[in-house]
This record gives sequence, structure tokens and C-alpha cells, in this order.
Amino acid sequence: MIDGSAAFVAWLGAALIVLADGRRGLALGVGVGTAGLAVVAGLDAGLAVAAVLTLGGAMAALGRLRAGPGGWAVMPPGSTPRLILCVATALIALWIALGITSGESAALRFAVLSVIGLAGARILSSVDPDVQLTAVALLALAIGCAAGLGGAEVWPYVGAALVAAGAGWLPLSAPRAA
Amino acid sequence: MLPEAVELIALAVAALAFALVFAPSVIPRRSLAIQGGAGLVAGAAIALVPIFDVALLVLFALAAIDAAAAGAQRFAVRLRAPALAVAFLAVALIFARVEGPEVLGRFAAVGLVAGLAAAVGLLPYIHPFDGGDESPASPLVWMAFAGPLLGVSVVFRAESVLSVDSGQAFAAMLIGVGVLNMAWGAGGSWLTSSTDAAWRYSFMADWGLVLCGFGLTVVDGQRAALLALFGIIAGRLPLYLASRAAPAPKALPERPINLVIAGALAGSAPFVGFAARILLLRGATTLYWPLAFALALVMLAWLPGSLRLGRSLNVAGGRQAIAVTLVLAVNVAAGLYPLPLLTAAGL
Repeated sequence: MIDGSAAFVAWLGAALIVLADGRRGLALGVGVGTAGLAVVAGLDAGLAVAAVLTLGGAMAALGRLRAGPGGWAVMPPGSTPRLILCVATALIALWIALGITSGESAALRFAVLSVIGLAGARILSSVDPDVQLTAVALLALAIGCAAGLGGAEVWPYVGAALVAAGAGWLPLSAPRAA
Repeated sequence: MLPEAVELIALAVAALAFALVFAPSVIPRRSLAIQGGAGLVAGAAIALVPIFDVALLVLFALAAIDAAAAGAQRFAVRLRAPALAVAFLAVALIFARVEGPEVLGRFAAVGLVAGLAAAVGLLPYIHPFDGGDESPASPLVWMAFAGPLLGVSVVFRAESVLSVDSGQAFAAMLIGVGVLNMAWGAGGSWLTSSTDAAWRYSFMADWGLVLCGFGLTVVDGQRAALLALFGIIAGRLPLYLASRAAPAPKALPERPINLVIAGALAGSAPFVGFAARILLLRGATTLYWPLAFALALVMLAWLPGSLRLGRSLNVAGGRQAIAVTLVLAVNVAAGLYPLPLLTAAGL
């Protein structure tokens, strides 16, 4: 029950990143998504892993609060296609996690597939670097959690947390031709 | 630790040192050293870390930092293809690990090939390219400098996560994508109106050779792939950098050096590209001779584009002439006697 709820929370966080354009909405998305992923991964891999992921996600959320478009801007006008994307991704991820694949960790499969799908789609569809870097942070955390499906050590989680934390604070240069 | 990866790291170190000494003045040395060094460290980390997921995360970090560094393209544009690659590879790893029907393994193979193509910048996921981008963060430099380490890392790790059946599908797709890139790249470098774009297509064509070699799953194919990678790092990349010195005048008289450069780029004897092509054809003949016939036909298409690229180098003397001579000499040496390279890579 807990792992299923946490997987849903992870999806909700990724969906918030897809639906929000403002820094507060994006930071909330990272925070919620991180919480869900940390619980799902922590149930399998232990408290230390959950703590590492939470730390990385919290750093990313703080970094996003520091920069980016102001306000919440959750579901601005014209967001219907994004909403449909979120629901469709959840249904497909649920189908794969429960219907196609088998074995334990169905919640983890659903969480990582839905977060990877939504964060990847957000990176491809956005032209705003701050939005993209927010999606990068959550995508990195999902990749780290996906390592749990192969019974990985702690290093993928640490790497994911580092990338997520770095994505929130990465300075950007203006484009130029040398 | 993969011996091929260690050898490619050594080659990348040599290529960076060569670029720092001989790159034309339009390429800023400071950013070349910083970004090249960062790319080298990250590429080495991708190749050497024992866990595939960590290698993916390193690739993701490298891509984000590279996109954030000043290039001619916007961050949003530069980040898309590597992020797509990482997403493909991550989903492929999930499909390879979970329990389920056999077809999931094949989807994993599709994801790995798509991720590799997107990560390097090959068809069907070409990275956006600005011909005027002289910076070390250019997608072309990425393809030739970080790409080889990335490619070897993904291909050899894929073999450990895929089943036998999925591994065969993976190899077949590598050959398919390789032939596509060879044909498209060779044709594009001949027919495109821009010389900068022609260079990019020529790198794609060389990468097609590499993918075909990896896909052949016989030792000759692996050898061909390694030599083709050597040709990219130690041949095409330095010649491309040398071509950035100054645009060649429109009516440049064709000199013997331009023909020799064209020969090196086309993979003619005695350069290293020739040895790679011979090994590739031998490996393809062992597996399925019509494939070797098709590969030979596509290889002929290299010539017109290479003649054009050879003419684009205005070798005026001085440091540039020394650089071009050194590159040609190294490529001839590796072409005539490739055994040390192959032995060092355990092939």
C-alpha cells in the first residue's frame, strides 16, 4: 500500500513539472517527485538510500526556487495537451508495470517509467533552460532508482543525487559563436 | 576494465594534446583545455565505472555541462538529444532487467541502439549543428572526442545486460543503423552545399563503419570498429580542426597534399581507414556475403565527399602544415601496421 501510494506521488511530482512553468511550481514538482521516489526506493534499498535521494532532490528544489520564471504558473492556459500527456503516460506506465512485466517492485517500475517518460518529454518540449534543468534533476533521480531493479549498490543513488543537486545550481552561458 | 576503452582514452589524451598545440588560433585555447579536459575526464569515467547506471548519470552530467558551456546553439537545443539518449538507455536497462515476455529484451535492444545513436549524434538523432560554431563545445567535437568512449562503453555493456536472442537483435540493428549512417553521411558530405555540413556528414559516415563493425560480432568486425574509431580520433578530427584555420579560397588550385588528405579521409590505402574497411568487408563476408557487397558499394560513395573535404584544407605552411603531415604520417603508420593497436585492445 505504501509503495503504491509513493509511486503515485512520484508520478504526481513529475506531472507537476510537466504542468508548471513557474519556479515555485517546478520546485514543488521536484520536491513531491523526490519524496515519492525516495520512499519507493527506500522500501527496497534502505533508509540511507532514501536519505541520499531526498538530499539530492531537496538541493534541486532549493536551486530551482533561486532561479527561473516567477510564481507558480501551474496549468497556464493551453495546458490541455500536457495534462493529457500526464494521464496517458501514467496509464502506459501502469500497463507495463502491472500487465506486461512481472515480479516484485511493480511500484518501483511504475514510478521510474512514468517519471522518465514525463521528465524526458518535458526536456524535449521546453525551450526554457530552468524548466529543462528541473526535469533533468528528476530524470536523474529516476535513473538512480531504476538501478534498484537490478539490485544495485548505493553508487547509482549517490550519483543520481549529485546530478540532481548539480542541475539545480548549474550556471548557464549565453549562446555564442567563437 | 575494457582494454578498448583504455586505448581510446589514451588516444583521446593524445588528440587533446595535439589540438592544444596545433589547433588554429580561432579556437580559444583556454576553453579547449577546460572543456576538452572535462570531456576527457567524463568520457574516461563513462568508460571505466563498473556500473552502467552510474555511467549513464556521468553522461547526463557531461551533457548538461556541455550544453551549459558557451556554444553557438541555445542550451535548450543542445540538451535535447543527450537527454533523449539517456532516457532511451535508462528505459532499455529497465526492460532488460525486469521479468517479462521475451519481446521486452528486444525493446531493450532497440532502446540501447537508439540511445547510442542519440548520444553520439547519429541518424536518426542528429544533433543540431551550426556551421559557424568554432567552439570546443561543438556537436562535431562531441561526436569525435567524447563519442568513441561513449560508443565503446554502451556497446560492450549492452552485451552484458542483453540475452542471447536480444543480443542478436542488437547486433542486427547496429548494422542497420551503421549502413544508414554510412550511406547518408557519404552522400551528404558530397551533395550538401555547406562545407561545414559536409564535415559533419563525413563524421557520421565514419561512425557508420564503427557501428557496422560492432554489429558484425566477429573479431574482424571488432577490429574494424577499433581502427575506424582510431581514424576518427587521430585522423578526421585533427584534419577537421586544421580546416578551421582559414576558409579556403573559392578557386584554390588543387595541390598534391589536398589529394593525399582526400585519400586519407576516403579510407584509401595505405591509411588506417583502408585497413578498417578491409577488415569490415572480411567480417561481413564471413557472416553474409551480400552484406559485404552492399558495404563495398556504400564505401565507394566516400570518394566524392572526401575529394571535396580534401580541397577545403588550405595548407599554407607553418604549424598547420606540420600538423597535417603528422596526422597523415600517424594514419599511414597505423594503416600499414595496425597490429600494436589491435593487440593493445586485446583483439
